[in-house]
Amino acid sequence: MHIFTILGESLIIGGLVGLAVGVGAARMFNAPNVQALGAFRTLGEMNASEGDPASHFSFGLGFFFNAWASTVAAGSFTQDVTHRVIPNWAASLLMLKNHREEEMQDPKKMGIASAIVGAVVVTFLNLTSSALPQALQITAVKVLVPAATLLINTVMPVIFWLAAIDGGQRSGIFGTIFGGFAQLIMGNAVPGIVLGILVGKGVEESGWNKITKIILLATILLFVLSAFFRETDLTLLKQLNLNIPMWLKQAHAAFGG
Amino acid sequence: MDKENLKDKELELKNAKSFWYADWSFPLIVGMMSAGVFAGTSMYFNYGTGAFNEVAFVAMLKAGMTGGSYGACAAFGASFLFARILEGSLDGIFDLGGSILTGVGLGIPAILLSMNITAPIKSFPLALLTGGIIGIAIGLIIYGIRHFTLKQANSTFGADIMMGAGNETGRFLGPLIIISAVQASIPIGLGAIIGAVIFYAWKKPITGGAIIGAMIAGLFFPIKV
Repeated sequence: MHIFTILGESLIIGGLVGLAVGVGAARMFNAPNVQALGAFRTLGEMNASEGDPASHFSFGLGFFFNAWASTVAAGSFTQDVTHRVIPNWAASLLMLKNHREEEMQDPKKMGIASAIVGAVVVTFLNLTSSALPQALQITAVKVLVPAATLLINTVMPVIFWLAAIDGGQRSGIFGTIFGGFAQLIMGNAVPGIVLGILVGKGVEESGWNKITKIILLATILLFVLSAFFRETDLTLLKQLNLNIPMWLKQAHAAFGG
Repeated sequence: MDKENLKDKELELKNAKSFWYADWSFPLIVGMMSAGVFAGTSMYFNYGTGAFNEVAFVAMLKAGMTGGSYGACAAFGASFLFARILEGSLDGIFDLGGSILTGVGLGIPAILLSMNITAPIKSFPLALLTGGIIGIAIGLIIYGIRHFTLKQANSTFGADIMMGAGNETGRFLGPLIIISAVQASIPIGLGAIIGAVIFYAWKKPITGGAIIGAMIAGLFFPIKV
């Protein structure tokens, strides 16, 4: 029963995602005239295969193995399934007949081919990973969870922080301020640094206009609200050895805090 | 030259009318994508498989599911979505990874779960519906920005920096997996090392090899939880 649920749901998900990936990717060849959905790396890589179905297929295959390993181990497909495996395999399917590069620039053909590839790939990944022996799952958890924890809590904040600093003075300043506060309030600096880069680069490239001002305001609001709901303000007062005023307690109580 | 002009005209005509090229159909395409990805997260929530994202990012959602906080995942996903919507409407390519896979697939479920709203994630049909509606809304926002304020802000808002840092992060996972495999047990560590070397020799990312090697070793020399 369980396995049929997974089969059915996977077919639906794969078909939907595949169709959207295919249409979106084919539309990229017509951007910016046509609004597309995809990624710059996908566009570059698909052009690099120069209309050869075999090279599209083998390019996708390399990432498919990686995606398979990661699905079996942790239930995560990796972004490569939508960025690389589905579009390249769909392109290779279309080019089998006549080796013409135009085939993959046609949203209709790509959409249909990708829907088929997507349904098959997603179903295969989900079925194989759910049929996994217990010993493998324990190993996966024991190996992947500590690695991912290190990555998220230490490596990612550092890399993003350094990237913000290298990105120019403004993104360095905003990245450091928001990154530091994000670590304080949310427990991870990455979202703050990302917003810092966004604000810093936006101001650097287009000045203080309506859009950059709105982004800055929204960011500050996000921080204030997060701090309130995660009770960072109460913790701060406690650590400063101050009494928490009655009205603040009531405000927190009013929101169920 | 004439042929080129003719082709351009033909494309323009197609653009205006056809579902496959027109701007009006874009929200529907984003809707389908989001429905699928959101439902994928629902499968991950129910069965532990099917999330459309990197191991490292999905682990943030996992942290919330296993009793930790959803805060990091929610903020991370939401800020990516926000940045990508701005950027996508300006350069014509709406980035799938940051917006739908991370924003809709992880950020929004994390926000909902942190507020104890579990129904749209637990139920598969509701997940499809929720994802679809969110996607169509995002598509409409982009359609709106594109049509009313096009090219007002000529900035990519540092998207290239974030992409660069994101890709750099992925490279760290391979070595980190070998390190934690070695700490799990010696046979599993050896398996990870051998797997990584073979993948490197094949010119593939070593992450996949390290995981497969560790798991094969774990099959023959199991460890306890």
